[in-house]
Amino acid sequence: MNITRRQTLTGASALAGTAIGAEQAAAQSALNVGFILIGPVGDFGWSTMHDVGRRRMESVLGNRVTSTQVEAVAPPDFDRVATQLVRTGCRLIFTTSFSYFAPTQRVAAANPNVMWESATGTATAANLAIYNARFYEGRYVQGVIAARKSRSKTIGYVATFPVPEVIHAINTVMRGAWSVDPSIRIRVVWISAWFNPGREADAARALIDQGCDVICQHTDSPAPLQLAEQRGNVFGFGQASDMTRFAPRAHLTSSINSWGDYYVSRARAVLDGSWRPADTWGGLGSGMFSLAAFTNMTPEEVSEATRIRDALAAGTLHPFDGPITRADGTLVIPAGQRLTDDQIRAQNYFYQGIDVAMP
Amino acid sequence: MRLVMEKRSETPLWLMVVSPLIAVGLPVLAAIIMFTLLGKDPARALYVYFIDPISDSWGLQEVAVKATPLVLIALGLAVCYRANVWNIGAEGQFLLGAMAGGWLAVITHGSTQGPWLLPAMMMLGALAGACWALIPGVLRTRFGANEILTSLMLVYVAEYLLDYLVRGPWRDPGGFNMPQTVIFEPEAVLPLLMEGGRLNIGTPIMLVMVVAFAILMGRTLKGFEIRLVGEAPRAARFAGFSEKGLVLTVFAISGALAGLAGMLEAAGTVKQLQPGISPGYGFTAIIVAFLGRLNPVGCLVAGIFIAITFIGGENAQIMLRLPLDATRVLQGLLLFFVLACDSLLLYRFRFVREARA
Amino acid sequence: MTLLEAIILTVITASTPLLIAAIGELVVERAGVLNLGVEGMMIIGAAAGIAAAITTGNSWFGVLVAILAGMALSLVFAALVLGLAANQVAAGLALAILGLGLSGVIGAPFVGVQREGIGKIEIPVLSDIPFIGEILFHQDLFVYASVALTAGVWWFLTRTRAGLVLRACGENHAAAHALGYRVLRIRLLAILFGGGCAGLAGAYLSLVYTPFWTSGMTSGRGWIALAIVVFASWLPWRAAVGAYLFGGLTILQLHAQSAGVPLPSQVMAALPYLLTIIVLVVIMRARRGGAAGPACLGTPFVPDR
Repeated sequence: MNITRRQTLTGASALAGTAIGAEQAAAQSALNVGFILIGPVGDFGWSTMHDVGRRRMESVLGNRVTSTQVEAVAPPDFDRVATQLVRTGCRLIFTTSFSYFAPTQRVAAANPNVMWESATGTATAANLAIYNARFYEGRYVQGVIAARKSRSKTIGYVATFPVPEVIHAINTVMRGAWSVDPSIRIRVVWISAWFNPGREADAARALIDQGCDVICQHTDSPAPLQLAEQRGNVFGFGQASDMTRFAPRAHLTSSINSWGDYYVSRARAVLDGSWRPADTWGGLGSGMFSLAAFTNMTPEEVSEATRIRDALAAGTLHPFDGPITRADGTLVIPAGQRLTDDQIRAQNYFYQGIDVAMP
Repeated sequence: MRLVMEKRSETPLWLMVVSPLIAVGLPVLAAIIMFTLLGKDPARALYVYFIDPISDSWGLQEVAVKATPLVLIALGLAVCYRANVWNIGAEGQFLLGAMAGGWLAVITHGSTQGPWLLPAMMMLGALAGACWALIPGVLRTRFGANEILTSLMLVYVAEYLLDYLVRGPWRDPGGFNMPQTVIFEPEAVLPLLMEGGRLNIGTPIMLVMVVAFAILMGRTLKGFEIRLVGEAPRAARFAGFSEKGLVLTVFAISGALAGLAGMLEAAGTVKQLQPGISPGYGFTAIIVAFLGRLNPVGCLVAGIFIAITFIGGENAQIMLRLPLDATRVLQGLLLFFVLACDSLLLYRFRFVREARA
Repeated sequence: MTLLEAIILTVITASTPLLIAAIGELVVERAGVLNLGVEGMMIIGAAAGIAAAITTGNSWFGVLVAILAGMALSLVFAALVLGLAANQVAAGLALAILGLGLSGVIGAPFVGVQREGIGKIEIPVLSDIPFIGEILFHQDLFVYASVALTAGVWWFLTRTRAGLVLRACGENHAAAHALGYRVLRIRLLAILFGGGCAGLAGAYLSLVYTPFWTSGMTSGRGWIALAIVVFASWLPWRAAVGAYLFGGLTILQLHAQSAGVPLPSQVMAALPYLLTIIVLVVIMRARRGGAAGPACLGTPFVPDR
């Protein structure tokens, strides 16, 4: 087609009047989706990945949705921000932190015509769904790889705060590692922050200096991975996004959060009236998160990791089959049993072989 | 020619009329320029930022809820700074108050209590805040340790203490081990004042405190003593006022107010204890205290202004889709302009011919 | 490399940005100005530094831009507190908010961009000395710069006439003015120096320590730098002691955790803050009544023609 610049301009100006009208009409009929983030969009971790998911939802659903996002909302400000989103026309609101769960329940009850989705939570309501990913499945694969890669038989874990999510993640790394070699030990350093790149690097240094040669991290920055690269002969895993480029020689795999498809499906459900409250806890098979390509591994190691990842995704392998023993020696469940979802979620004890003080 | 500043001996009448206009006009002008640069319609942006938050009952209530802890803390800090005591650890004292008040709500959870519960929580919160503030007070009077350092370091200690308590002993047993306490029983939650909003009795308490402190600082011997020690320590010594006693007094006062604010926030807006209970109120209140010129009524005005800039920033994210960082830049610049205007009122600027020496 | 050596190396890395920022603020406060916006100037340095380094492909240019960015932000502060005699505490806190916001705006396009960090330099022969060689002669330039800054500021403040004048401005600005010194000009230079140092400390974070950008990456180090100036009683060498004490305690608690010391993580995390208080108290007790800050700290100076 051959359109000159002049034609485009005249066309544009002629259309301008109607275009604005159309846009307004679309905006009125479009579903406005709200997002409340616990951190800044630039945290290159949890909040960044929710933002990526939001943008994916916008690009897939086009003019059927618009979205509004509020960053770094502290829990005392939550009620106001959520109410203001409702007042400005949001009909579906994602609240993306467990610190928001109790206030989300409160605001959801006060605004029954709005659909609420809380990323992690413990109960649903008529207009409140909860969602999260089974990140621990990725941790299990990491445990297997770490056990294969570690020569010192000691894995380091840069942890944030002792919340159940982090505790069961550490436990699953242990399950994975023990499935390869029961002599593996895990050392844990709590940096007491969700976000502090410098301290993350310091923690990784401390772990490496004390003999760990594979570093797992629950923090979102690439600092521990970069440090592993610098030190050489130390391996690490990326968190939240694909971090291969930060450590071409040390990176093994990354756990990549991808909320986009979930957001698309939930927004679509509101649009066509099929939205129902649900408790979604998606595993590797759900696409809510995935593992980046395995790097710096031998072909045998890659095929083993792939096999385990696929078995977890297919549901044929379960990380929490008994027997499970606590660090203090008491039995949690005997052989032949499996932890229920609620039991997994609420773990506040470590398994045997993890050398850490439980607060 | 050069520009010189002179302290005004008295503010002329025309300036008293014009000054509020300058103080509002300059920041608004700056905001218009910034919104235009960001590609937003300035009229709508100004409305969203400054007017919408105070345009209806719900908005006004939210401004009051946000301003209450800021003003309460700033009242106490102003007393400290008047006496030249540099308490910058109000954030920690706030958290201690929230913890102490919350403790009572947690241990009485599940059993019916009388109407004594809330007053007891307030007393306990104020007491805990005062005790926490007395640590840097005692360290200064007893050992000469500078309170800027000690009070700041104790903020971090308080944060970790709260973190420990909500993950350990005070954790909600039914909360899937999440780091938070139970939701407080209704009788441990501040009563609301009206329908359709979150305004609670915290705000009237704050207003009473503003009046009380205006009287204390302006009309009582204690207030005179505090101001004298700050402005003329030698004269205060001659007058026989004990500096050490005064340092402890002002620390206790500001700690008690910060602690009370923390308890009101825990029982009013959050209704439970959890690590993220304060979005830095103790630090923001320092700005409030100085913007309010360390004067109780000034603190009230400044607290409301700062609350509006916070809520306006949220509104700008919601209605203008501005990123958080842009709203922060705007807030910082607005503060600069208000401070600059403040100077224009205090000093006279004149061009004079350069005197050759 | 022994564990002790490794710990010392980590402590040096953790302490260097604190020391650089603290030395800058120390000069500002010695001149009688309290700039609480160190965190803001530091993070703008971190953002501008890595942005410039990625854009031009030259890390050293990034360092230069970081210093200039810190100075530019401090100039805004200077205009307010010197030019208009505005309240320093409020202006400093507003500066921290502004810097945080601006850094996010500058850094937004660079979130998640990979950049090679500035490496260490090895001084030939000397770095082969066992133990000392690795610690003293195999460091990045920032570490040497922090030592040079400390020594230079100490020399300047105690051994030069200009340093004496600067201290006079901080102790008694009216007298300094009466003697014919340009109090405001000296304070302006001090504020710019402080801004440059904070920017440099920020560049250390985003170009050496953890070479990437994420918003809020200074994580409160600017506030710690402020506390260190007070800890040091405004003496340069004691600022170095304070920075290394705090950095050392932070690293040691991480090592203790890794070694499995059975204490709650919150207790470990709070230890550096508590021990800093205790050390300060012990020092003050030993000296029986310590130095107060510069007498004119925080008070605006308005020349009477």
